[in-house]
Amino acid sequence: MSSHSHVEGQLPHEPERATLEGRNKITGFWLFLGGETVLFGTLFAAYLTLRGQIMDGPTPDHLFSFLLVAIATALLLTSSLTSVFALQSMHRHDVKALLGWLIVTVILGAAFLGLEIYEFNHYVHEGHKFSTSAFSTSFYTLVGFHGAHVAFGLLWAILIMLQLKNRGLNTTTAPKVYLFGMYWHFIDVVWVFIFTVVYLMGRVG
Amino acid sequence: MAAANGHNSAGRSDVKTSRPEGSKKHVIAFVFSILLTFISFALVMAGEINTDFVYIMLVVLAIIQVFVQMAFWMHMKDKGHGFAIIGILTGVIVVFTCVIMALFWTTW
Repeated sequence: MSSHSHVEGQLPHEPERATLEGRNKITGFWLFLGGETVLFGTLFAAYLTLRGQIMDGPTPDHLFSFLLVAIATALLLTSSLTSVFALQSMHRHDVKALLGWLIVTVILGAAFLGLEIYEFNHYVHEGHKFSTSAFSTSFYTLVGFHGAHVAFGLLWAILIMLQLKNRGLNTTTAPKVYLFGMYWHFIDVVWVFIFTVVYLMGRVG
Repeated sequence: MAAANGHNSAGRSDVKTSRPEGSKKHVIAFVFSILLTFISFALVMAGEINTDFVYIMLVVLAIIQVFVQMAFWMHMKDKGHGFAIIGILTGVIVVFTCVIMALFWTTW
């Protein structure tokens, strides 16, 4: 195989695939993402089943605002693009640009998370608490799980940046950056279904 | 593949044959995603159209956007992603079963 096709001491173009360990990590991560798909899929199924059970609580039509969801979507989508730029900087072996784009990604992700916390807080004041109805419980479980994934991703990105600063870019740290990129895109993919199924479909008709 | 060429000449041609990819197609994927999102929002905000049609269109637009992002941003269209497709597809099959069951249960 081409595991050592680079000159000694010189990083290959795609350092995340340079070692067998790196390639195995990427394959393993895809299987993990398959499991994550099932996790979110079952939460979606639960939400779709229970979203009509609103009891005395506010209706989705009353709660959801187009502007808030549009801003959240724009933030997460842009952060997905900046994480692509981070990976391209890594392929150019430009550690400074890599760290810069990761910082932009983390800031955008943090803004998304802040907006979601504001949103949840606002809903609670509107009488939409976790235990108000089957709709509210399944809503907070689904969207909250996604928010928790964003929070974990932010922590992960910060730890990777610290490691890049301490150890530099090599065939051990490169796969970690690549996996974070995949994880972040996956979060964005899940959000596409959340804004479609939860927010937009909540306002149809 | 480029890596095979790089192997012969001790990595010298590695630099030449496998240059870092440009960011153009990623930006196009971004613009395309924005556009699909905009259409989804516009469909719902217009509010006057047949609701069944809107539901179907929303699902179709979301699936197209996810395909675009997975192909370009997650590199699924690149070589050597057999296991990736198996992993994700296994998840998707379970999800479809659950969601269709949920819809069947509540709608019919």
